[in-house]
Amino acid sequence: MAYQRQFYPGASLPAKNRRRFMDPSVKLDKLREVAMEDVVKILGHRQPGEEYRSIHPPLEEGTEPDCPIRQLVTPIPGAKAGDRIRYVQFTDSVYFAPIIPYVRAWMNVSRFRGVDTGTLSGRQIIEMRERDLEKCAKELIENETFDPARTGIRGATVHGHACRLDENGLMFDAWQRYRWNAKKGEVEYVKDQVAIPLDKPISVGKPLSESELKKRTTMFRVDGVDMRDDKEVMNVNLRIHRLRTLAGYQPFAMKE
Amino acid sequence: MPKTPVPEAIPLPEVMIVPSRLLSAGTTEKLLNKIRRVKHVRQLTVSGEDLPAGISWGPGKGLKVDHDERRKIDYGGQEVELKVQVGRVFAEIDDIDSVKKALKEIEAICEEMLPFGFQLEVGRYSKYRPTVTDYKKRMR
Repeated sequence: MAYQRQFYPGASLPAKNRRRFMDPSVKLDKLREVAMEDVVKILGHRQPGEEYRSIHPPLEEGTEPDCPIRQLVTPIPGAKAGDRIRYVQFTDSVYFAPIIPYVRAWMNVSRFRGVDTGTLSGRQIIEMRERDLEKCAKELIENETFDPARTGIRGATVHGHACRLDENGLMFDAWQRYRWNAKKGEVEYVKDQVAIPLDKPISVGKPLSESELKKRTTMFRVDGVDMRDDKEVMNVNLRIHRLRTLAGYQPFAMKE
Repeated sequence: MPKTPVPEAIPLPEVMIVPSRLLSAGTTEKLLNKIRRVKHVRQLTVSGEDLPAGISWGPGKGLKVDHDERRKIDYGGQEVELKVQVGRVFAEIDDIDSVKKALKEIEAICEEMLPFGFQLEVGRYSKYRPTVTDYKKRMR
């Protein structure tokens, strides 16, 4: 029997959502539309319309040394053109943000090619060739992994993921990159990801309701779905913990 | 803090208010002005998330943050600059026998002002006599 790829154990709602996010055959819901020009402005790496800067000649020029791996791997468009590596970083609130940094990492390596991710407790950075990063960032801002109020696009000073929300339900941001527009009932970015002011606000739409967030969440919380209530998830986690504790980096050496 | 803090003879109790949301400057102003009028409230202290005036590092270094919640508020006719987004308020009560009464009044104010929920606790949350660190810093 051929090996069938598995993504995440468990029958609970967060477990099912984790599987959905990680499985590249599942098309994630698109919840909002943000123009590519606006995504480029929020990222702040280049001006919209500006040429991509390169760090090496295009691969077509054939200056690369002969290498079997180069023959095996099809380069992504940014690598072909020799683009710079640029980044986008997302902060996810502990208050039922649709996705959490670790699941982001699993999802990114599962769904995107040419991606390098770094995961911390409340934030997750993606490094990629510039033109591919822009496409990837647009997809991640428009789809269900993003909530305007509980997810932040923050390149630096990311503090806020574990803070209480403000009175409008927005995650705390000391540099206030986004604001609540009470008239429209929408969240607007007024600064780019490193807090350099934008020429005009960019709307990222209406925040999801609490019930909708709880439906879409990948977060196990005692006031939502407790991880201990999902036996399969607990068993897998305990198994990983046991193998790591007793066998370190040689889990295969354990006789179970 | 003054260089030579005056110790209190008996530690005075404090009522700690923990709102379920971080407060805007407007709500903080209204809440503080209501609580300061409660009988036996001696002083109010706030704490919360720091709101820097400027960006101190990164590509935006030197730019102003201009956070909506960092602004001057009116506290009993006195202008006070709010530099945090308030997450806790401590009301010090000057008479231990009046704590229950004050707590009741504070609870009523919070119910009116904080519709998103809050928690109240009575205790002592700030130091009332010099600590070893103060001696080390030669503050005493």
